[in-house]
Amino acid sequence: MSKTNIDEINRNIYDIKNKDEYDFKIKKGLTPEIIEEISKQKNDPDWMREFRLKALEVYNKLELPTWGPDLSELNMDEIATYVKPKSKLNDSWDDVPEDIKNTFDKLGIPEAEKTSLAGVGAQYDSEVVYHSIKEDLIKQGVIYTDMETAVREYPDLVKEHFMKCVPVYDHKFVALHGAVWSGGSFVYVPKGVKVDIPLQSYFRLNSPESGQFEHTLIIVDEGASLHFIEGCSAPKYNKVNLHAGCVELYVKDNSYLRYSTIENWSKNMLNLNTKKAIVGKNAQVDWVSGSFGSKISMLYPMSILNGEGAKTEFTGISFAGKGQNLDNGFKVVHNNINTSSVVNAKSISKNGGKCTYRSLVRINENAKNSKSSVSCESLMLDDFSISDTIPVNDIRTDEVEFSHEAKIGKIGDKTIFYLMSRGLSEEDAKAMIVRGFAYPISKELPVEYAVEMNNLINLELEGAIG
Amino acid sequence: MEKLKLNETPVRTSRNFNINNTKLDINFPEKITPFQNLKILNYSNKNYITEKIDKYNLVYGLNKILENQVKENSNKNIKIEIDSKINKDIVLDFEFNNENKTLIDNIEIIANENTKATVIIKYCTECDLEYYHNGIIRALAKENSNLNIIIVNFLNQKSNNFLSIENKCENNANLKYTIIDFGGKNSITNYFSDLTGNSSNNRLDTIYLGKENQFFDLNYIGELRGQKSNINIEVQGALKDESKKHFKGTIDFKKGCKKATGNENEACMLLSDKAKSLALPMLLCSEEEVEGNHSTSSGKVGEKELFYIMSRGFDKNSAIKLLVRANFNKILENIKNEELLEQIVNEINKRLD
Repeated sequence: MSKTNIDEINRNIYDIKNKDEYDFKIKKGLTPEIIEEISKQKNDPDWMREFRLKALEVYNKLELPTWGPDLSELNMDEIATYVKPKSKLNDSWDDVPEDIKNTFDKLGIPEAEKTSLAGVGAQYDSEVVYHSIKEDLIKQGVIYTDMETAVREYPDLVKEHFMKCVPVYDHKFVALHGAVWSGGSFVYVPKGVKVDIPLQSYFRLNSPESGQFEHTLIIVDEGASLHFIEGCSAPKYNKVNLHAGCVELYVKDNSYLRYSTIENWSKNMLNLNTKKAIVGKNAQVDWVSGSFGSKISMLYPMSILNGEGAKTEFTGISFAGKGQNLDNGFKVVHNNINTSSVVNAKSISKNGGKCTYRSLVRINENAKNSKSSVSCESLMLDDFSISDTIPVNDIRTDEVEFSHEAKIGKIGDKTIFYLMSRGLSEEDAKAMIVRGFAYPISKELPVEYAVEMNNLINLELEGAIG
Repeated sequence: MEKLKLNETPVRTSRNFNINNTKLDINFPEKITPFQNLKILNYSNKNYITEKIDKYNLVYGLNKILENQVKENSNKNIKIEIDSKINKDIVLDFEFNNENKTLIDNIEIIANENTKATVIIKYCTECDLEYYHNGIIRALAKENSNLNIIIVNFLNQKSNNFLSIENKCENNANLKYTIIDFGGKNSITNYFSDLTGNSSNNRLDTIYLGKENQFFDLNYIGELRGQKSNINIEVQGALKDESKKHFKGTIDFKKGCKKATGNENEACMLLSDKAKSLALPMLLCSEEEVEGNHSTSSGKVGEKELFYIMSRGFDKNSAIKLLVRANFNKILENIKNEELLEQIVNEINKRLD
């Protein structure tokens, strides 16, 4: 009897390589001189140049993590941390160089912009090459721009928030990010403004043996709301590429932010990304995350519930195929009364891939009457893949309701039998089970991304029950 | 005083989560004299007890220094070999007192094929002095054996309790542990079961009950290797005052353990706003055809349940006692020895007063 065969993700679109053309590529390695040169190229103000140099000092002092996937193949002497594409920042796709525009066309970005987005940012290697926002949002005072423009034009706002939510000493790769960051998006939604249609930033890394270090800073002011979507991909090369981005979210009192990510980096990418949100009184941040790409991923978005009644939800799925080690999860710290968190994490391991769910729920002494509910499920699709669940639950007060549950297993023969007894073929039954497994995540995505995700989990079925 | 790093988890996670290990200042005993206050009940020639322990190295254990202390300086070695089906409980009753302040015990229990036995190991203290206990218990459950081990820790709250447990289960062996963990200023336990046998089965039920500044660190590891092997870990606890508990539970499905199942459930009742519960329930899986589940929960006693019981005429403390007892009851049913059960219930009541 043969077994269900679930295809790995079809990467044809994502693997399109453009010629490695650039305006400037910094030499490989990580020295104060290289940092100075990046700063010069980016025309940084003095405070930012000094910030970068201090971050490099912190990077040199911190150790690599003593846990998680093996990062020994990462050699910063072999990575170029800044690649300036052959394009300035444009507000019309017509002005973007043909090969770069073609790449984003194939990824469907301009089309999505026309139909379902209120603003788009597109980054190619280390710089944003296209940025747009709908006129009516500008009139309401919404700012959506690339990070460099924000540093120049909104220095006070940036200085007040930049790497304050994620300080450079958090871990080694945050310090690296602080030293070499380039590109990314800045969003400010003023008090009371509801942005009904999502904004999206897409990050594309084309250059081999390089890194992408975009910085996303979003401030949703009191009573405002926003849905922000982040996408990322890269073609595959033989040597490792590095992504060490940083996302800082400030969700002020009574506001709402949904942050959705479809991560589809190539399988030579080390994705060592950091995302954190500080959530105010009665505010809410929801994370929706689909993680499909990367050779190694270490990604644990974090919500810090500082305000009374603050809420967070995390809904995420990871799909690890051959050669992939996806160590993902979520962290939440409850710091005030009546706060709540809900976590729903799923993973699928196939063809020797490894998925790890790693998490922290901490309910501090002052977070009385808080609630937290965590659920994680793992599906193993063969007997040489690996799936681990490593959650830490740190409860420091009594007036809480906390529960955590996890399960691990294969597609049940009984479930297949049941569906087949209702007239479905075995293939259709298995397809339905896997799609059903992923449904709680895909239903949280905008419809076009849900379709993309379903395409990513493409089923190819054959034979009888395995 | 020496600072030791104890009870490392099989897989590390972020250092900031403070759970990969436990660091403790330990006062090692200066002089180790023979431990005299041990009563052994209900053994016969068929199930002989000797002081000769085979050489071994623990796979996990609490810490190498503590392991070596037992191997080189134990003051009580006991080897129990079960050769038949025994109906009466074999009891090892260790009681610390002024003359016996230090116990470093090395216990080996072998249940031969087709045998059945219950072994009760009890540690208690006569008076309120500072005692030191460091022990190793190793159990081998051979084919078709049925071994039931009950460990009771009634040490006082000035003492240190260090215990490393290591088990191996062969085909169709059934190994059951019940751990009643009440005593010790620090009570640190490492438990490892290697389920190599097909259809082998290990059940571990633990109750802990902390008060004042007590600290419990429980590191339970089950590795499933045999086909259709099964492990069930059930931990029920309650924490009063400023007591603290770390629970680390790992169920590891190794390649080849087809159709194995593993379940762990840890529930902690917080009876004070200063009590702290830290838990890391891990599932590690390298095999497809398995079923693994874990769940943990923490919280205070339910207001509705309290109100219901109090409306029947109970005061608040009695109502809390009842609810804690209700949570513990399923595990207490494992204790068939009535005298021991009564002692445990009395101890629960005393600790909850």
